[in-house]
Amino acid sequence: MTMSTAAAPARPRRAMDSLTQRYLVLVGLIVIASVGFGIANENFYSLANIGILLRSIAVLFLVSMGMTFIMLTGGIDLSVGSNVAFAGGVGVIALTATDSAALGFVAAILAGMAIGAINGVFIGRLRLSAFMVTLATFALARGLALVIYDADSINVSNAAFLWLGGQSWGSLPVVIPFVALVFVALSVLLYRAPFGRDVYAAGSNFNTAFVLGRMPQRTLVWVYVLSGALAGLSAIITVGRVSSGQPWTGLYLEFDAITAVILGGTSLFGGRGRLLGTILGVLLYGIIINGLVLTGTNPYLQSLIKGLILLGVVLLDTLVQRRKAQ
Amino acid sequence: MTRRLDMHGIGKSFFATRALDNVDFTCIAGEVHALVGLNGAGKSTLMKILGGVYQRDEGEILIDGQTVEITAPADAGRHGIAMIHQELSLINELTVAANIFLGREIRRGRTPFLDKAGMARAVRAQLDRFGLSLDPHKPVRELNSGEKQIVEIIRALMSDAWLIVMDEPTSALSEEDKEMLFDFIRRMKAEGIAIIYISHHMPEIFSIAEQVTVMRDGRIVLSERTGETTEDAVIKSMTGAELDQFVKPHKQITGEVVLSVEDLSSPGKYEGVSLDVHAGEIVVLTGLRGCGAPDLAKAVFGLDPDYTGTVRYMGRTLTPGRGPAVAVRQGMGLVTENRDKNGILPPLSVRDNIALPFLEKSVTAGLIDGARVDGIVDKAIRDTSTKTASPAQEIRFLSGGNKQKICFSRWLDEDLKLLILLEPTRGIDVHAKADIYRIIEDLAERGVAILILSYEIDEVLMLGDRVLTLFEGRTVQDYSYPHFDKDRMLADMAGAGHAT
Repeated sequence: MTMSTAAAPARPRRAMDSLTQRYLVLVGLIVIASVGFGIANENFYSLANIGILLRSIAVLFLVSMGMTFIMLTGGIDLSVGSNVAFAGGVGVIALTATDSAALGFVAAILAGMAIGAINGVFIGRLRLSAFMVTLATFALARGLALVIYDADSINVSNAAFLWLGGQSWGSLPVVIPFVALVFVALSVLLYRAPFGRDVYAAGSNFNTAFVLGRMPQRTLVWVYVLSGALAGLSAIITVGRVSSGQPWTGLYLEFDAITAVILGGTSLFGGRGRLLGTILGVLLYGIIINGLVLTGTNPYLQSLIKGLILLGVVLLDTLVQRRKAQ
Repeated sequence: MTRRLDMHGIGKSFFATRALDNVDFTCIAGEVHALVGLNGAGKSTLMKILGGVYQRDEGEILIDGQTVEITAPADAGRHGIAMIHQELSLINELTVAANIFLGREIRRGRTPFLDKAGMARAVRAQLDRFGLSLDPHKPVRELNSGEKQIVEIIRALMSDAWLIVMDEPTSALSEEDKEMLFDFIRRMKAEGIAIIYISHHMPEIFSIAEQVTVMRDGRIVLSERTGETTEDAVIKSMTGAELDQFVKPHKQITGEVVLSVEDLSSPGKYEGVSLDVHAGEIVVLTGLRGCGAPDLAKAVFGLDPDYTGTVRYMGRTLTPGRGPAVAVRQGMGLVTENRDKNGILPPLSVRDNIALPFLEKSVTAGLIDGARVDGIVDKAIRDTSTKTASPAQEIRFLSGGNKQKICFSRWLDEDLKLLILLEPTRGIDVHAKADIYRIIEDLAERGVAILILSYEIDEVLMLGDRVLTLFEGRTVQDYSYPHFDKDRMLADMAGAGHAT
């Protein structure tokens, strides 16, 4: 005999989940921002500018996707910007020492992963605060970069090494289809592979994930290593874009990435969010910053505006969450 | 004059759902009024309206015959209404007295210094008034959950509350603490305090409440003096149907030994415990809180490496503390005692919550086979009669009983050999309970060995093929079905005959 009388009233499922709503709002804002800046400056819509815009945010795309994985686990990675500088330094040194672009690539990515592994082991295995550990590696990686470069930039002329970050097909930078490829690969990893489920599980309740035998400790190590690998890739692109390795590159990149991820609707507390949101978040953020440059806004104001964007988004998200909880 | 609360014609809707419909509820000083109903019946909504958390759509609230407006929790407090929460709102690092005086501390004269002695004296006077023996200087973190509730109530009483609302106050209490709490409630009644008592527990309700009101689907379906109604009548009106009682099926245990625990000891937790669980057998560990059984179960699952003795599983000796990942791979499952802390994955879907432990089985070429997962999840939802709008629903929107069923439905995989259940029906309503018992028996019938820890004697008697009573970490007695003796078991649990 089945029991049917005592059904707890199931909540009416809203027609659209809140993340989808969020993405529609972001698309709307992207359109509004583009139209607005397009009116303010006719160069905004030139193919050249779109190329410049996309290239300038290519690195932000990569780093933010790694940050999305980390924030889905409820963590944060403040070290990405410094890691880009450090991994770039290692890559450039390996390149100049061996004159092999392939070895340079591998060295940069491995260096990025090494910093990620340090973060991951401390955060995942030893359960230290992600904020504190990556704040430490934020300083540590920058210090290593300055030591490697001896605080000076190194010019790079190896065409193969510069290809990814510097080459364009017409006005389409090579790096853009590359970013799209990474997005597809990471989407498969996040949505179709068991690892992706473990990322969500670790972020939504570490203890439950542990008791269910999902080894969230290990999951955390790997998301930081992934973020490090993406920082390594970003380092290669950064070097390619300016034809030199710079010890102070990637400054404030962690800030931009965190803002873009939050803008894209990923929860600060883990377990909720999608890569698509991050892509939209980076686009909107990139358009606003690029638009501010094109409309000749005082560059000193940019940081202020960035800060206001982050504060505004966090405020809005929190208020919406509280209203829902009522 | 006897103080009284009257709620008249209260109505409340959330979007299209009618949560409360024309509810009348009265509570009189010096009485305990039990409010019962299944999850989702409207009890919490009604109490949240009284507490100023929700605003009513219709009706009025009167205190001593005067209409009052309660639009915020502070209003409720001003009218002497206090809500005692399950999620206790005490600060662990502060003492009992400091918690009670939090926000309205007494100072020494006009100085900024706190008069700690004075506050402790005032608290002691209150505790004495109710015959309680707590130390006001003790930090709250050293109290057990029964004592913490008492501190919360005392805090409410000292801010002139005359109406106390208690939501499932005994769900986390040991038998001893329950008695202490009931004593306290009786004394409060004598002092003219009114109490609204939300509970699923019929024996408790009938022993302390004067009035019982049953809610179903947002309406009052029964409101009687407890002397003039029966447990059966109350349960019947809760579910709106004859309760489909769970009856334990007869069976012969013939399966091989799945788990064999020999002389297991862990200092301060348990001592020299031995037990066998056969395939298809349900072994129940019981005792009072602190009897060491949960620690033992966790050691078996590989969560705790600090023990001596041996744990053999499927004929092989297990490595202490090998971790849950290995345990699950070996075919063990665990349903934890605290759903919200380590049982569910709140923002994730029902589907993800169910599929996680055996996800690898649905993987081909490194990718998850979605159709296969859907098949497993749909079957699990059906088999456990879990009520969810869809598998994509986020688990946090489900009721406690349905969440618990999901904690079970993860382990329906055919390779599961041993399932460990810690307090499998804690905090869920009678209806879901019967479903849970059925799921447990179905699993046993399929040949899964089941080890249960339960503190509820009726549940112990209903489920066990064998029952081990524990007292302070030691096995007292080993009972085999049908030779159960409830009174002796209770005596074992309380340590009778252990007095040294």
